[in-house]
Amino acid sequence: QTTGLVGLAVAENPHERLRILYTKILGVLQNIPKDAAYRKYTEQIVKQRFNLVQTETDVQKLQDKLNSGHIEEVIVQAENELSLARKMMQWKPWEPLVEEPPSDQWRWPI
Amino acid sequence: TVRPKNEVEQKQLCAFGEYVAEILPKYIQQVQVTCFNELELLIHPDGIIPVLTFLRDHTNAQFKSLADLTAVDVPSRQHRFEIVYNLLSLRFNSRIRVKTYTDELTPVDSAVSVHKAANWYEREVWDMYGVFFANHPDLRRILTDYGFEGHPFRKDFPLSGYVEV
Repeated sequence: QTTGLVGLAVAENPHERLRILYTKILGVLQNIPKDAAYRKYTEQIVKQRFNLVQTETDVQKLQDKLNSGHIEEVIVQAENELSLARKMMQWKPWEPLVEEPPSDQWRWPI
Repeated sequence: TVRPKNEVEQKQLCAFGEYVAEILPKYIQQVQVTCFNELELLIHPDGIIPVLTFLRDHTNAQFKSLADLTAVDVPSRQHRFEIVYNLLSLRFNSRIRVKTYTDELTPVDSAVSVHKAANWYEREVWDMYGVFFANHPDLRRILTDYGFEGHPFRKDFPLSGYVEV
């Protein structure tokens, strides 16, 4: 069997892998302040997907419900989200604006 | 004939722009949606790598493809160059534009660590405008001749150049 996509091998036991990844993401998200919008929205997305993964055991039906391509793509996306959460901890983008632009910077037409 | 206005798409883009601006208030200075339904994020130059990695990795915004990287020269401004990144999301079939600013002497973070495609585009911007990219693996001239002096796309560079051919 094959995914049909170049470079993506078929994942055996995707539920386990997704469960591990989502718990790791939620763990990383605990370290950023509770009022940050990133934490709010990402927790919402991750918890929703986590519930779907836990309730649905059939891989085909899970792919249809998630509506996000193959399960292997969902796994890749979860890995990306985990690395993004770790980088967000360092960058802290929820703080207020770093520097205001000069007043004529974004005026168009000049 | 006039292009019909697509209100639904405009509302969706406005909503998404507000979503991104709420998540990244540290770097986003302004968000605008053009009348042709194009979303633009106006960024402080420190925030290039954070914003581009967010747009590439986040589940709601999988902009995995860097379609274009250019610069615009507006000599009357204090920061004369405007760097423009055009991103495309294959999952959601949507495009977004990210704009930053810099002047002639301030280096800008290279986007190569986020999108490998930015390599030659940044070489072109360096060659044509003179914008230096920090942490670029191989920043050298790409379109001008080997001993060429000057940056041709700047507004103060004359049309037929300084050297007679």
